[in-house]
Amino acid sequence: MPLREQREVKEIEGVLNKILSTASPPVARCRLLSTGLNPGHALNITENIGGHKECIGCGNCIDICPFLFREPSRRNKTEQRTSMALESIVGADCDECDACVLACPQVDTTIKNYVVNHRMIEVMSRLEQRIGDEDEPDLDLFVEEALS
Amino acid sequence: MDFEIPEELKMIQSMARDFVTEQLKPLERIVLGRAADLSDAQMYLPLEKERELMGMIKEMGLWGVGVPEELGGVGLGTLGSCLVEEELAQTVVPFSFGDVTPILFDCNEKQKETYFSPVLNRQKYPYLALVETERGSEIATMEMKAEKVNGCYVLNGKKVSLSRASKDYFAAVFAVTEPGKKPRENMTCFLVDKDTPGFTVSGGEEKTGWQARVRQPITLVFNHCQVPAENVLGEEGKAFYLGRKWLPSRRIVRGARCVGAAQRILDECVTQAQSWMSFGQFISGRPSVQAALANIATDIHAAKLMVYEAAWRADKGDPIQRLAAMVKLSATQMIHSTADNAAHIFNAPAYVGGLPMERFCRDTTAMSSTEFALQLQRGIIARDILRGLKVG
Repeated sequence: MPLREQREVKEIEGVLNKILSTASPPVARCRLLSTGLNPGHALNITENIGGHKECIGCGNCIDICPFLFREPSRRNKTEQRTSMALESIVGADCDECDACVLACPQVDTTIKNYVVNHRMIEVMSRLEQRIGDEDEPDLDLFVEEALS
Repeated sequence: MDFEIPEELKMIQSMARDFVTEQLKPLERIVLGRAADLSDAQMYLPLEKERELMGMIKEMGLWGVGVPEELGGVGLGTLGSCLVEEELAQTVVPFSFGDVTPILFDCNEKQKETYFSPVLNRQKYPYLALVETERGSEIATMEMKAEKVNGCYVLNGKKVSLSRASKDYFAAVFAVTEPGKKPRENMTCFLVDKDTPGFTVSGGEEKTGWQARVRQPITLVFNHCQVPAENVLGEEGKAFYLGRKWLPSRRIVRGARCVGAAQRILDECVTQAQSWMSFGQFISGRPSVQAALANIATDIHAAKLMVYEAAWRADKGDPIQRLAAMVKLSATQMIHSTADNAAHIFNAPAYVGGLPMERFCRDTTAMSSTEFALQLQRGIIARDILRGLKVG
């Protein structure tokens, strides 16, 4: 739902990279770097909320987070479904997969495109460390043994 | 192309089916609880009953189906283990035909006598100490360290295990021995006896009632715990290479577990559809219910074929990494959609506490926490498709 004129990534590339490289869910900070709510999508209310950057509490980021999917007990710690709740319950355990950024309706498409084109490949190689090369053992097999 | 299951495996499948129908299914009420408020529900069968059932399986010659013959098991292979697992998954009673984690298959002769055989015969239970509270499932970055001092190893750290608690136990602990090396080259597995000084265990008490549904974690604390070098399992620094020959096929066997559970859900749905009436007719006559039944049956058939083919290839010695990942991905999604379709047929009663159906539907959801990281399975499959293309 962001504004038609969206954030030019070149202007924020430095800070964006820093945010995306920090081990913490980046969705809220990416949302704040975005342009905010498109007035065309807002209800007809007296207050003009166009351009507002608050979390709308849709819960997309909580639902998509792979860490919370693996550890549902953390998700059950709060009823809240905001980006703040996500940051509180995931914290530094973040996989840095950036899925929350892609799922957030308040993040600008320009930022999402940047994440897909410049960050996803880096994350894949990091995740691949867990499943190993063809000749290396798959660590997830051990986690499955421990949990099942 | 022959889709026929070999005769001897068919026989084993039939024996397992009869055992589940005649011995395990009648015990479901012990696990689910008989009291009105289900306050007597238990996670496991009473020990004496388990021993009695174990004796029956031993007499049938099927104890340790997935354990290699040289370790005292039946050495049935992946397809055989899948067929047995599929039958065992059709009941909520937690019982296996002598299942032992392949991580312990690499015991040496002495360890085999002290640790493996008692585990196979259920005299001792292993606590698999892999996960750390701080690191969760990120086992590559675990913090627990083992220092070599005067030919012994000194362990320091804390682990959490979801293994079954018992009076007689030992821990199979994963700890970093060579901090400078890569995660796959620096981890060593130690077998730590329960009475070792510096090793304490808490939690894991067996609960009753609704709490019996939740697996109670065991906390293992190692405080300057000295372990002799002979208790290293496998090679030093090569803990993640333990059970390498057998671990990948366990994914296929877990797929078979999903197929079995889904089959029971389908059976329960059929009974419900043929006995529940609405507006003067059995709901089995309604197109929406028939569609749900057809969807479940089709999904089960597809998953079953996938599991059997992957198991057959594993037994042939073909590479199965991609197939096992496909089985895990597909079977986990299948069991979820089956539970979803079942809820449509049952409406509310599927979630009435104390019904086997309710337990199955709950367990399918729980499966998402044990069969997690489906994205990684997609990664394995995609990498195999794009073989040769290196990313990153």
